[in-house]
This record gives sequence, C-alpha cells and structure tokens, in this order.
Amino acid sequence: MVMTRNSLRLSIGVAAAILALIMQLSAGTFAQELFAEAAILAVFALSLDLLARSGLVSFGHAGFLGLGAYTFGGLAVLQNWPPSLAIAAALAGGIISGLIIGCFAVRTSGAFFIMVTLAVAEMFFSWVFRSPLFNGADGMGGVPRLDMRSVGLDLNNPRNFATFCILICICVWMFAEYIIITPFGRTLDAIRQNANRVSAVGGRVFSYRLAAFALSGAIGALSGALKAQHTNFLSPDLATWVVSGDVLIAVVIGGMGTFVGGIIGSGLLVYLKEVLSSNFGHWYLFLGGIFIGVALILPRGIVGSVLDWRDRRHARNNPAPAREDEA
Amino acid sequence: MSTLLTQTLCKSFGSLAVTQEVTLSFQSGMRYAIIGPNGAGKTTFFNLLAGNLQPDSGQILLDGRDITSLDVTSRARIGIARSFQRNNLFAEMTVHDNIAMACAIQDNVAPVFWRPMRGFSSVHKKAELIAQQVGLEDDRQTAVRHLSYGSQRQLEVALALACKPKVLLLDEPTSGMSPQETARMDHLIKALPRELTVIVIEHDMDIVLEFADQIVVLDYGRVLVQGTPAEIKNSAIVRQRYLGEEGVAVGSQAAERPAP
Repeated sequence: MVMTRNSLRLSIGVAAAILALIMQLSAGTFAQELFAEAAILAVFALSLDLLARSGLVSFGHAGFLGLGAYTFGGLAVLQNWPPSLAIAAALAGGIISGLIIGCFAVRTSGAFFIMVTLAVAEMFFSWVFRSPLFNGADGMGGVPRLDMRSVGLDLNNPRNFATFCILICICVWMFAEYIIITPFGRTLDAIRQNANRVSAVGGRVFSYRLAAFALSGAIGALSGALKAQHTNFLSPDLATWVVSGDVLIAVVIGGMGTFVGGIIGSGLLVYLKEVLSSNFGHWYLFLGGIFIGVALILPRGIVGSVLDWRDRRHARNNPAPAREDEA
Repeated sequence: MSTLLTQTLCKSFGSLAVTQEVTLSFQSGMRYAIIGPNGAGKTTFFNLLAGNLQPDSGQILLDGRDITSLDVTSRARIGIARSFQRNNLFAEMTVHDNIAMACAIQDNVAPVFWRPMRGFSSVHKKAELIAQQVGLEDDRQTAVRHLSYGSQRQLEVALALACKPKVLLLDEPTSGMSPQETARMDHLIKALPRELTVIVIEHDMDIVLEFADQIVVLDYGRVLVQGTPAEIKNSAIVRQRYLGEEGVAVGSQAAERPAP
C-alpha cells in the first residue's frame, strides 16, 4: 500500500466523517444528543489543535467556548437578534477577543502560555458567574436554535440538529486542512518546529501566532454558539477549566496536530463518559484510568501513533540510499 | 556598495566582558574570517551582528544606517542573514520545504491563507535554485531528519541564502564534518556570489587562509589583530597567542566535535 503520511491522515478523516454520518442517521433518538455533543466537542478540539500547530497549547480554551455561547445566547435571548446574526457576532467576538488576549498571551509559550490562558478563561468564568445580566450562577434558558426551515430543516428536531453539527464539524475540518496547506499554515508549522529560525529568516513569529490565536478563538466561539443551541441554555460551567481540560484530553488522546485525532478523541470521550457514567458512580476515576492507559501505550495519541507506525513501516520497506561519504 | 560597520561594540555577561570595543569595517563583496580560541567571543560577535543580542554600548551600521536597535527579524529583512553553529532547521520538513519556507517569508507570501503553498511557483523556483547552489538538488524531497549531518550543514547555509542577504554570516560551517563533507562545504563557500559580503567563523585554517581576504583575530573579546592571510600567518602575536598555543590548527577541528 503506497499511501503518504498525509493521505493516510486525510483518509482516516474521511472514513470517520462517513462513519459518523451513517451511524448518526441510523441511531435512535437518545443517541442523537450524543452525536451532537461529540460533533460540537470536535469543533472545539479543532480550534485547540489549529492553535497547537503553531506550537501553543492553551489550557483556557473554554474561555472562547463560553464567550461564543454567551455572545450567541445573550444577543439571541436578550436582544432578540436572529440566531444567524448572533452566530456571526459570536465568531466576531472570538476573533476580537483572540486578538486582544493574544496581544499579551502569545508573547509567552509553554507553561506560561498555559497559565495566562487559564487565568483569562477563569476571569471570564467569574464574570458570568456573578453577572446579573445572564442570571449569574443560575444560568439562562430559552436559547433558540438556528432557523433553517427555509431550506426544509427543522433544527429543533434532535436528529436534524445532530446531522447539522456533524456537517459543521466536517466544514471546519476541511477549513483547517485547507489552512495548513497555505503559506500561512506552513509558517505555523515552521514556527512550531523552530520559532527561532523563523525569526532568523525574517518572519514575525508574534504576528503569525496572534493570527492563529484569533482564528482559533473564532472556531472556539463557534463551538460555544453550537453548544448553547444544543442545550438551549447558558451556564457559567461552559467556561470552567474542566471544559478546557476535557478538550485537551480529547486532542491528546486522538493525536495532537493531526486534526483527525482530536475529532476521534472527541467521539471517544463523549462515548466513554456516557457508558461509564451510566454504569459507575465514580466514573471520572475510570475515565482517568483509561486515558492514562492510552497515553502510556500510544504516547502520540491514537491517530499520531497510527501515522508513526506507517512511517516506520515505510522506512523499513524503503531504506534510504546510503551516500558514498557515509560509509 | 554595502558596508557593515561596528563602532566600539561592547557586550558583557555579568562581569565577563565577551565583546570589548570591537570596531570593524566589512566592505562590500569581501570575504572575512573571524578566528580565535574557544571563548574568544566569536559567536557572541555574530549574535550582536545578527541582532540575537543587543550590545551594551556601541553601534552597528549597515550602509551608513544605524541598525543597532533592530531585532533579528528586521535585520534578516534588510539583508543580514546568518547560519548557526548547531543545526537549526525545520526538522519535520523536507529540504525543499525548508528552503521554500524561508523564501516564502522573505517574499512576503507567508501570510497568505487563501491559496495553497504549492501554487507559488516563483517561491518553489527560487528554492530549487538555492538547493542547487548548495549542492542539495538530489536531496530536495528528503526529510531533514533523514539527512546526513553534512547535508544538514549545507541546508543551514541554504536557509541563510534564502534571505537574499547582502551580508552573510556563517558560524563554523564545517564544524563536525567529515573530510569529504568539509571539502564540499569549502567548495560551496568559495562559489558564493561575489557581490555578497561573507563573514565566517571557522577553525579550519586551510579554509580560512585560502578563502579570506581579511582575517580578524579575536581574543578575550578584543580584536587582537586584523590583516590579510599572509600578514596573519607572519604575525608574531598571533603565533604566540593563537596558532602557537593550539598548534597550527590545520584540519584539527574535526576532532573537536563528534558528528551526531
């Protein structure tokens, strides 16, 4: 089988997308909620993974999710904006907050970046937790879903909404895949591999990371807007560090930097949570155990390990021709 | 006519003065070699020229313009490019993608997010020419991690060349190389276009004496002496302080650092 690393990765993605759609369309009513939840988490995971391509791992991504949810829900409920406009506003909010927070956040990296993003997300959480504007800790209900009846799709039907979320996820995935083959995306990869060298050849690392952060913020806010529509409810819990941790786990388990990995990891996380929580009391304990096991066996994540396995096999079958001066 | 000038450049790390009142002039199109014992401040001087470090005092001028306050990125954009002593590449990319990346950044196409990279034929054309120039045309599709150490050193120079430099700084281009690899690098350096100002830090005295128009000897951060290869060879102070101490370092550098 002659398949490059990249085409194998894309094939896994296409197979996962087709499989998800087939399973969702043939699943029962209750499972529809899980498919929608997994697809929304996968969009969120793509947002985190796109940023990770530039070498930055955020631990406050729930801030963007919460911001998107509250921008969407706040405008749709309190201001009676049409949901389509409110989604656009959530995207804009993600970009703008990404640019503002990024101005100081992306000057750091590694553990400092983790701390800065966590701190900002917790600030947002404590604001919505106390703010009377959104009923504080009680949260706010009545968030409407996008009205797509003009194209014959009633999103209040759980099956339709799940299909809609999966399709959005596929679009975001294709967008992310497109971005990384453009010069901008290639530069993000170069920055992850060697930021100092990018500076030394005349690239402004800060600008690229800032743009990646804003783009990631927009996609994170989109997932938040979907989340608010899914539950029809705004809760400060959307912006807690647990949400940031869950998406990080999904991406790491699936394989960071592979996009497809985060999507598969999201599906797995939602599925395991459901199975474990309906069978065990201390289900997070079991979940943690499973993830430690996966991390030990597959340190590069599920998809990352599959791709590495392909590379090793390829290297075995095609030994590099030795150069005359390497004897 | 592009000239790089340093005026009473000083840099200290704590109480250790690594660059002391270095005033030098690098004329356009000339070849310079900077030599000196380990710890003489050669790489620090390069870091000051390239903007990786800010001097404590003194000035750096390119074509009469004061560039002292510019950072690495800005200096790379006005024509000062460097290679590194330790390979400093994009490890997961192929040779071609490494060079094309640097070309894309220099040509300001790197911010483009609406068209695929492969559509930028001028960038790929330039990357091919540079690969040829450094002798890596047969390895263009090889991933950096599968590249021999010597070829990685060649790629190191290629990335600097991709910056369309006026002044090229090469930090020990032959360090850790086998004799064959050294010969290839020697050939590469000698074939560099004549309009380029080239400054190398190099331990291989064979290469230095043959290549350089001017040799600068650094010692404890100071310019000990500067002159033509003949003058340096005959300089009593250099014999005593540098060549004498280490023996005339002909080809001895290969033993200094083991190839990975």
